Amino acid sequence: MKGRIPIRIANKRAYIWDVDDLDKIRSEHHICGLLVGTLPHLSQQNVFLGLPAQLTPEEATLLVEKEYAVFVDDNNAYPEPSLSQFQQWNAEQKRYIEHQRAALESENVKSSEVAQLAVSEEAVRKRKERELKRQQKALELRRLQEGEGDCAVDAILSEPIPTPSADVQASLSNLRPTTSSAPAQYNICIAASSSSLEWYSPESCSYSTIDAARTAGIWDFPSNLQDRARYGVFKDLWEQGYFLGGAIRFGGDYLVYPGDPLRYHSHFCATVIESLTHTIRPMEIVAHGRLGTATKKTHLFCGWDDEKKTVSYVSIEWAGFG
Amino acid sequence: MLEIHPSYPALASLVEKYPAHRGSLFQTYNDILLAQQWRDVQVIDLGDCRRGALRGKRPKTATDPESLLDVIPCSLAESITLAWYRQLYLAVVSDDSSIVYYKLSPGIVKPSI
Repeated sequence: MKGRIPIRIANKRAYIWDVDDLDKIRSEHHICGLLVGTLPHLSQQNVFLGLPAQLTPEEATLLVEKEYAVFVDDNNAYPEPSLSQFQQWNAEQKRYIEHQRAALESENVKSSEVAQLAVSEEAVRKRKERELKRQQKALELRRLQEGEGDCAVDAILSEPIPTPSADVQASLSNLRPTTSSAPAQYNICIAASSSSLEWYSPESCSYSTIDAARTAGIWDFPSNLQDRARYGVFKDLWEQGYFLGGAIRFGGDYLVYPGDPLRYHSHFCATVIESLTHTIRPMEIVAHGRLGTATKKTHLFCGWDDEKKTVSYVSIEWAGFG
Repeated sequence: MLEIHPSYPALASLVEKYPAHRGSLFQTYNDILLAQQWRDVQVIDLGDCRRGALRGKRPKTATDPESLLDVIPCSLAESITLAWYRQLYLAVVSDDSSIVYYKLSPGIVKPSI
């Protein structure tokens, strides 16, 4: 199963977590998927969507059936790490912490160089002036308050205002280069994708056929005539080279694009009819045909023959008269 | 009362053969002939579908005025099949005498615009 794209299954839904896989699926297999990752603190927004990408049941089934991808039951792909694996992981974490500590120390040296500038005469003089002004203002305010008899403010202002210049001098001396004052703070790195961990083993829970996945209980599409009809139509249109998307905005099952949806508008809106003997009401033809014509699309009724496993198409358009 | 209408002679046999569809056939025939002003209008019997249909040519001012087109009338209350194997126009007739025409073509046919 080398080279096949892993489709990660969770709760019978198909996800792509790797951006390179998604690129391949779109550019080589003309299947788009839908990005469903959002911002954790603003999950209602839909401007910035990211990984994972969710594939519809038809898209995932087709990729596995055509042997471009395999299903991975990710939930069961993480066994307990062995002792040596864990020791190695632990050692790597320690190395990273040390690296951070070393980097922080060299930064301390740099920041003290910046602090040297603040000790220049010009800076010291200006600082003294500012503090003097602040003290004077505070005194005036106190006198006013005394006149009005506000006791609370009095209490605050009666505390001696510390001479800042002395403090500044003291703190500056602290910034001069020292060796052992680095604080014991470090970041712990959690890898964005757990599949990079040493003990991740998808081989035992990869399924290269729909039947195998169904037997394992992680996938169940297609499961009835309706599913088979939808999948049959999807596959037939895909095999003709079209890109397919969802058509809920246009009251259909699929939107059919002649090329990548980023570049083209869809020409067709497809509705799946479960069997060739299935009858429909003329109102449906009117409704679909009218919407299609108004949006410059043709509506496709796609009839699925469950015996012969073929699709027959009828294109609907407003006649232009009457 | 249908019998005294000027269009009755052309429709008589089909109206009697397929009484369930006589309403929509009658409405559509009059609309196609008189309102849409089609030429060379004939009434035909679709035995396998057990209904009548119309065949004719659009007015000279239409695009492609010489092609012979088929119109199948139906009522909003019916259920119809989609297993049509040639291009045709479906005339949907409703109780208030509104008619809408939709073009049905086999296969995946790109929009004409």
